[in-house]
Amino acid sequence: MALRLNLNHEILQAERARKRDPLKLSMIGVGAIAACFAAYYFFQLAKMRVIYQEFAQKQAEFETVEPKAIAAKAREEELSVTIRAGDNMVQRIEGRFYWAPMIEQLVNAVPPEAQLTKMTGDVLGETSKKCRLTIDGLSSGTDPRKVAEDLRTSIAESFAKKYKDVTTNFRSLEDGVETVQLNGVARPTATFAINIEFQSSEEPAPAAPARIPKQK
Amino acid sequence: MKLGDFKFGKAEIQKLVLGSLMLVGLVYVYFNILLGPLTQRQAGVRQNIVDLDPKIAAAHAQVKKTATLEAAAPKAQQTLAQVSAMIPDGSPVAWFPTRLGDFFKKQGMDKAATRMSTELADKNLPGYRRISWSVDLPRVDFIPFAAAIAQLENEEPLVEIATMMIDTTREDVDAQHILMTVNNLVKQ
Repeated sequence: MALRLNLNHEILQAERARKRDPLKLSMIGVGAIAACFAAYYFFQLAKMRVIYQEFAQKQAEFETVEPKAIAAKAREEELSVTIRAGDNMVQRIEGRFYWAPMIEQLVNAVPPEAQLTKMTGDVLGETSKKCRLTIDGLSSGTDPRKVAEDLRTSIAESFAKKYKDVTTNFRSLEDGVETVQLNGVARPTATFAINIEFQSSEEPAPAAPARIPKQK
Repeated sequence: MKLGDFKFGKAEIQKLVLGSLMLVGLVYVYFNILLGPLTQRQAGVRQNIVDLDPKIAAAHAQVKKTATLEAAAPKAQQTLAQVSAMIPDGSPVAWFPTRLGDFFKKQGMDKAATRMSTELADKNLPGYRRISWSVDLPRVDFIPFAAAIAQLENEEPLVEIATMMIDTTREDVDAQHILMTVNNLVKQ
């Protein structure tokens, strides 16, 4: 067997050791990881720049629109006052209590056997008008009390067609001391006073409650 | 070349440890000094964008709402202008009793006495005040009076009758004594 001598074995071994140097391998590995990290970092930086641009855009939009919104708010308050005043004015004019139709209804309800001698009335309230009337008078006929009662019910029925919550009641109803000539015949009389109360317009409807969604 | 041929000596182990320390250092520096703050800044800016969005939307909504009101305002302004045109300049004491007296005179009722009773600012109508007047008609026929009231209510939208008393006079059963409280809207 021939003897083979490798006289370069020391050089080769040193070369091999240099290639397998753990520090060198570690440096390569760390370098590769650092390169990946750097790439990801620059990717994030680019992303950050886009986000900054978006923010700057939004900021600029807000700075443009904010003064307009502040001015609009101030203008809204002015306009709201005007619009509310206009609405209140219309409501006030259209929501008035009209006495003439009420007087007409009252006159039409009075029969020939009765005579009104006094009427007092007042209207209370801003949106919903509550009216109170008192009528005094004299009724005559074979049964003057019934005439007065018929007048009371007639007024209640007539007013109920137009107004709400109509109530009528006698404050007084007494036999009169004097007689009157009715169709040429002397008839006994009764004096009466009737209180009438009614609502001339409806109360404003309350705001509808907010809907609560059903929980599943 | 076989790995098995390689033997870790003390120097190699030291180099491996050094390499590992460098890796740990790199990871630490990267996440804590570079990527961490960057991510935090990103999150902060994103949050600012998210915070700005509703503010921008609210500002746009405000502008839109005002534009809607701006469109509705001329009608109200017209109403108020019409009402203002109905109210004469000067003190109401100077013109209202005369105006009411002339009105009833035209209706054939000569003796109308109008006196101011109370005056108060109308809280629902800024710029206006409400004056209550006492109107006395000593001798009137009921039917012409009722017709006059209908006409007054139609012609004078700023006038509202608050109370009314109609009483038959003892001297003349055909004549009535009327006492009214009339509210009138005037400028402040």
